[in-house]
Amino acid sequence: MTEFATAAIRLENLSKQFKDVIAVDDVNLEVEAGTLVCLLGPSGCGKTTTLRMIAGFEDPTAGKVYIGEEDVTQMPPYARPTAMVFQSYALFPHMSVYENVAYGLKARRTPRAKIPGMVQEALSLIELVGQDEKSPSQLSGGQQQRVALARALVIRPKVLLFDEPLSNLDAQLRVRMRGELREVQRRLGITSVYVTHDQEEAFSIADQVAIMNQGKLTQMGTPIELYRRPADRFVAEFVGLSNVVPAELLESNAEGASVSVFGQEIRSHQPPKDPESPISVVLRPEAISIVSDKDSGIPARVRSLAYIGPIARYTVAVEGDGTELIIDLSNPGPDEFYEEGTPIQIELPKEVPALLS
Amino acid sequence: MIEPLTFSDRIRNRRPLLIIAGIQIVLLAFIATRVMDIVIVEDSRTVVDGVETITLRRELIGDPLLFVLAAFGMVLPLSSTRLRREPVMLLAVQLMIVALLIFVLWPLGQIFVEGFEGTGEDKRFSLEHYQRLFETPMIVRAARNTVLLGITSATLSTLIGAVVAYTLTLTDIPWKRILRVLVVLTLVSPPFAVSFSFILLFGRRGLITYDLLGIRAWSIYGPDGIIMVQLISNIPLAVLILMGVFSSMDRDLENAAEDLGAKTFRLLRTITFPLVTPALLTAWLLNFISSISDFGNPMLIGGGFQLLAPQAYIQRVELFDPQLSAALAVLLVIPALFAFALQHWISNRKSYVTVTGGARTGHIRKLPGWFKWPLFSIVLFLGMFNLLLYGSIFVGAAVKAWGFDFSLTLRNVSGLVIAIRELRNSLFVAVVAGLLGGLIGIILASLVTRRRFAGRGALDFSGTLMYAIPGTVVGIGYIIAFNAAPYLLTGTFIIIIIAFAFRRLPVGLRSGVAAEKQIDPHLEEASLDLGASRPRTFAKVTFPLLRTAFLAGVIYIFIRSMTDLSAAIFLSSARTQLFTVRMFNVMVRGTPSEAAAFAALLIVIIMIALGLLGRLTGKSFVDLFRIT
Repeated sequence: MTEFATAAIRLENLSKQFKDVIAVDDVNLEVEAGTLVCLLGPSGCGKTTTLRMIAGFEDPTAGKVYIGEEDVTQMPPYARPTAMVFQSYALFPHMSVYENVAYGLKARRTPRAKIPGMVQEALSLIELVGQDEKSPSQLSGGQQQRVALARALVIRPKVLLFDEPLSNLDAQLRVRMRGELREVQRRLGITSVYVTHDQEEAFSIADQVAIMNQGKLTQMGTPIELYRRPADRFVAEFVGLSNVVPAELLESNAEGASVSVFGQEIRSHQPPKDPESPISVVLRPEAISIVSDKDSGIPARVRSLAYIGPIARYTVAVEGDGTELIIDLSNPGPDEFYEEGTPIQIELPKEVPALLS
Repeated sequence: MIEPLTFSDRIRNRRPLLIIAGIQIVLLAFIATRVMDIVIVEDSRTVVDGVETITLRRELIGDPLLFVLAAFGMVLPLSSTRLRREPVMLLAVQLMIVALLIFVLWPLGQIFVEGFEGTGEDKRFSLEHYQRLFETPMIVRAARNTVLLGITSATLSTLIGAVVAYTLTLTDIPWKRILRVLVVLTLVSPPFAVSFSFILLFGRRGLITYDLLGIRAWSIYGPDGIIMVQLISNIPLAVLILMGVFSSMDRDLENAAEDLGAKTFRLLRTITFPLVTPALLTAWLLNFISSISDFGNPMLIGGGFQLLAPQAYIQRVELFDPQLSAALAVLLVIPALFAFALQHWISNRKSYVTVTGGARTGHIRKLPGWFKWPLFSIVLFLGMFNLLLYGSIFVGAAVKAWGFDFSLTLRNVSGLVIAIRELRNSLFVAVVAGLLGGLIGIILASLVTRRRFAGRGALDFSGTLMYAIPGTVVGIGYIIAFNAAPYLLTGTFIIIIIAFAFRRLPVGLRSGVAAEKQIDPHLEEASLDLGASRPRTFAKVTFPLLRTAFLAGVIYIFIRSMTDLSAAIFLSSARTQLFTVRMFNVMVRGTPSEAAAFAALLIVIIMIALGLLGRLTGKSFVDLFRIT
């Protein structure tokens, strides 16, 4: 399938208010043509509402939606060049697979003679050739998901929208399907917006991830940027298990800053935005180590231990103020096993990418 | 290789506002010509020198007010930006508002207006008819009787209904499947067929009272008879409402109570009963409305017992006092509306019994014999009694002279030939009304469940309002509203069809709403998203998925229209005489056996309609009436 006239998406000061709840609050977002952006956030953060405003199912209270250069804010959904893949798949239960895929083509008055070829092409793209006379209920969850994708792709939308498309699948299938989705999206180079609450899914599929919290767009960046330089505590905690620990600012200049955490000095190349406000650091669980040297480390006591696959996850309390930290040891050796209550020494990383203020 | 699609978004969605405006104007102009007309009338006549000069002037007739209201109803949805953007939706909403305004609210409003019209030349506002109402002891008595009967009948039928529903859903009595059908059998009979079979069985020459028991002094005619007939007619509705609640109750609640030590009676009192209270109230209120609206039964079996609904008919048709009749209708409609509003309020509150996904429901409880067999006997008696009522009609139709000569004959059945025209009329009216009401119901349901726009609640309310309006009041309202030029509909089939369609619209609407709520809203969104317009989405996705609900609505309205008497008796004319009206006349004036043949034929038609429903939708007639 070729010649996708894809287009960028731009959201300008987009807001949506339902009665007394502000679901989406002044969101500005740009999706470059051909890229896949994930909207990631906890349930109720406004990510689905944002997606539905792009599709035209919700009217923005304020702000504008552009697809390419065109302002589509006032357009009804059927006139927008978008196609959505729904969480529930939303396959028409009274139509066959073929009829489902052909539906959008007929609705858009594609010349009759072209329809069968286009449908077959879409079905071959998702490897469902020969299933066209089946009814959706005869297909497995993964197959239904693919039909939904084919149905969206066949109309050659400028923009593809995904509303938690994998959350009804089991864990293994989810991993496989997201690989396939990503593959198809890359191959066709179609601009996509993908809504999910699953951090792992977002990070594995997206070019850029936009994190939303309480209706606001908190931070947008590549997965690695978000992980390394979270803009605030919410992002830091949402994009992975983190220890956010208060720190004391020692010095700060244009080159960077250094802070003191439990008496240990930590440097960062990025100075805090606001040196006057309280500063914290994000310590990833895998960045903290347990050391045997009793003099150099920070004294702490083991609270609990859990094995998660090859990782031993310790929860420890720092002696003194009792702050709890999570430490992940990967592939721990036999001498790295500590029972509950054991006093240990921990060492923090010498450097962190960013400081929170 | 296939080229990319070449539709232009710009052309497709920037539909010129001109088209919308044009349609609006045409529609308004059409309404204007339907509800108003300008006629040329003689103004004055002068004779000067033997030459007669006649001055003419134009005069507006019809209802400018209705036009203003309709125009207002059309303007209202324009305030919604969402609708302004989608012309087809806008037009659908406007048409629905105008239709409900003209065919529901206007006729009802007319009853209030007519009752306040003075008798003087200028027809000024006056309370004289209401004064007359309260000065006539017979009418005061009728009002008191109506309310008392309503309360008694609703209370008894709800209580018995609760016992029956409980027994049929939560106990281990035998023959449950067949009993479930038998106890609700009278739902589908013409309402006055029950009183007719009561007359056959318990009347002056009743099979049981006269022939079997030899009773001569007592008579079924009067309040006792009406109460018994209404119980038999109304228990099924209570049973259905309460069976729905009992069978969806989470059994873990009762199990938990038992686990904590509650025994049979304590369990009923502390758990079961509080959980079903909202449903009990609903059943009571709907049966109250049904009882005070009842027209056919009191007419047949009432004896001298005065009630409002028959009085409204008698005052208008037999005593030619339309104003007093309208005032009576107002008197009748007020308690009905009150009960309806209360019912609406109850059903909108959060119910205790919510069907949650995980709840285990509909468990059967093993009861001690001393408790179980009395319950079983009550249900069995009710079922057998219903069977007896139906049986007596069919036997009555097959014998020479009920009460005197029980030898078999085909004379009564062949005698139906005289009513062949009425039968054809009724079938025609009922089919068209069914299709019309079913379609309006499904469109309205899809508008009020899926779209958000100003006035949606009002639309939903007006669509459901008729449920509370007694048929007599509907009939009187339509006659008053539509018998003046330019829309002289009285005496036509159109008025009957429209009256039946809108009268039963609430059921079509509610079953549509219930079905629509079962559909994943994403299906419609997916269709729109793929580029299908609203009408296309409705035709290709929504309607096929609502097909079952639509057919159920059509058949329900068909059956109710075939069996309607209270509105039909006002609206049918010599040319448009309906089967039920003819049948009613035969019941009053003809022999019981002749009348029984009429009733039997009607029951057979209903059974065929229900069979059709089962074949087309897989639903049984019990599902059809499970509306509230």
